[in-house]
Amino acid sequence: MSERVDSESDAESPLRQVRREVETGRWDGVVGVALALIGVGVVARQPPLVLVGAVGVGYALHARLGEAPEATLDVTRTVSDASPDPGDEVTVTVRAHNAGDAVLPDLRLVDGVPPGLEAVDGPARVATALAPGATATFEYAVRASRGEHRWEPLRAVARDAAGSRERTTDIESASPTRIVCTPELAAGGDLPLRGLTTTYHGRVPTAVGGSGVEFHATREYRRGDPATRIDWNRRARTGELSTLELREERAATVVLLVDARESAYVAPEPDAETAVEASVGAAGQAFTALLGGGDRVGIATLGPLDCWLPPGAGSVHAARGRETLATDPALAPTPSDERFYRSLWFRRFRRRLPVDAQVLFFTPLVDDAAASLARRIDAHGHLVTVLSPDATATATTGNRLVRFERRARLRELRSAGIRAVEWGGERGGQESGERGGQESGEREGRGGAESFAVAVARATGRWSR
Amino acid sequence: MRPLVAVGVAAVAVGFVAAFDRGLAAALDPSTAVVTLVGLFGAVQGLRYASARRSRDRRTTDLGEPERRVRATVPGSDLDAEIARVASSSRGGYRSRSALRDRVREVAIANVARERNCSTAEAARAVESGTWTDDPTAAAFLADDAPYPLRVRLRVAVSGESRYGFGLRTAVDAIGRVEADGSGTEAGR
Repeated sequence: MSERVDSESDAESPLRQVRREVETGRWDGVVGVALALIGVGVVARQPPLVLVGAVGVGYALHARLGEAPEATLDVTRTVSDASPDPGDEVTVTVRAHNAGDAVLPDLRLVDGVPPGLEAVDGPARVATALAPGATATFEYAVRASRGEHRWEPLRAVARDAAGSRERTTDIESASPTRIVCTPELAAGGDLPLRGLTTTYHGRVPTAVGGSGVEFHATREYRRGDPATRIDWNRRARTGELSTLELREERAATVVLLVDARESAYVAPEPDAETAVEASVGAAGQAFTALLGGGDRVGIATLGPLDCWLPPGAGSVHAARGRETLATDPALAPTPSDERFYRSLWFRRFRRRLPVDAQVLFFTPLVDDAAASLARRIDAHGHLVTVLSPDATATATTGNRLVRFERRARLRELRSAGIRAVEWGGERGGQESGERGGQESGEREGRGGAESFAVAVARATGRWSR
Repeated sequence: MRPLVAVGVAAVAVGFVAAFDRGLAAALDPSTAVVTLVGLFGAVQGLRYASARRSRDRRTTDLGEPERRVRATVPGSDLDAEIARVASSSRGGYRSRSALRDRVREVAIANVARERNCSTAEAARAVESGTWTDDPTAAAFLADDAPYPLRVRLRVAVSGESRYGFGLRTAVDAIGRVEADGSGTEAGR
């Protein structure tokens, strides 16, 4: 975060970065044509042909003498809504003012739309000519999606009048443009947790007797036990006093771990939502559901950029969690370029993880590293539940092989005693096998995609606590 | 090339001198033949320049497509490139070929073990002997010594596809069938 601000303030002073001048080769060969015409004119003794050749020489000179002007533009960019909801169309207006003294006879402007956004209305570019002091304006719309999106510099390509040379300039707008899109966290259903709990009261039933609602055991009466907990039936039968023990329900500490390595930015189709988006959406649902149930919830990412929201509770924590899931750079809509050091990450993660925390690990599980990490965390005593959006495809041989490998990984995790749920994907219902019979027939059908909540609800029935 | 350059430089030098020294200009014979020759030379050179242009591309800055969202990778698309590369090279790439084959074999063994409810070692034997699938091509791809059926050999020879690539595709399809069977039995559980 701090790095980005630094680089931006560096860029404040030189807003324009002139790249290079290149020859386009547009008039290459005109000399040849001119020479050929003159030669033919001489051979045929035809003065008009020689004259026509001279015109060609004129063009060649025109192309040689010109120089690509520098695009000294002042760019201002305005967005219609700086904090839109997901799916909203945001209109972006770009104004480029020619602040230099030179006429720009051939100018192309291409706006630096953030990589995570898609322009839906009109191209984000314009071709124009600008006299000194003139202003060009163009407008386009982007569809907002989750995350904080910063615009990259506008790229201006200025050519000389003949078009034989061009110069590229990257121009930052006067004030940096960004939109922040924070989705409302959808309330998720009941998310089953594993039996690792804190000492606080909550919703996760434990194997500890105490106060609660569900019967656990009886024990002999001790002085001071509340009268309401005495087993009066037994007293009537045997004459002995005994006390009912109820199953204690305690709160859990949960850390939502989202896989945001570069390998997790995969999708069944190039244009589809990536597994990271699906994971973040599901993590949001889990976050609200668990926080509502009185558990302490934290957020971490598995990726090159550090993101750690310690487990907590309360409305401030809820707001912080929502913001983290929406705009944290570690969960950006496009992968980060930084390198990921797995063992360093794991050491740091373990140091931060509270002893009584269990982990909900959201990962597409398309590589072995994710599966082995889940087992390692589990082995360190933090019970792990793997929640895996299915991002695999079936179109090609390679796609299918990776799909089978992922399935095998899920089975291995389950046989190692780690709970795993998958959702989405092209073949819903695979998990419970309700549609197992017709599955092979409708392999290509995408109608069967299963939502996170449905998958969890279905899995809950199978799990014992 | 050098002599040609020397002739060219000499000709230009004579031309410059002739522009100032009328004596030299008079000595040159401006006959029809010489003028025609110079004209022809010019025409030929001109055509050469012009045609050289045709093979050259215009260099313009690639403006890219900022309007589109960054495209996500489809899991396994890199594997497809790898398969295509390994399958097309007839010689060499032995190591990558066997690495890919091992990867397919591992998945096959895991699936067979699950479907037949047997140990991994037994499944490995089934895959090695080729009894894990009905498809002889898929069996041959992973087996130690099972030959490809003649029909496949002919087909591969005619189509020009490599036998390895064809076998790999068939084997993965066969695993898909085993996998679908397996989830069917899982449903009954």
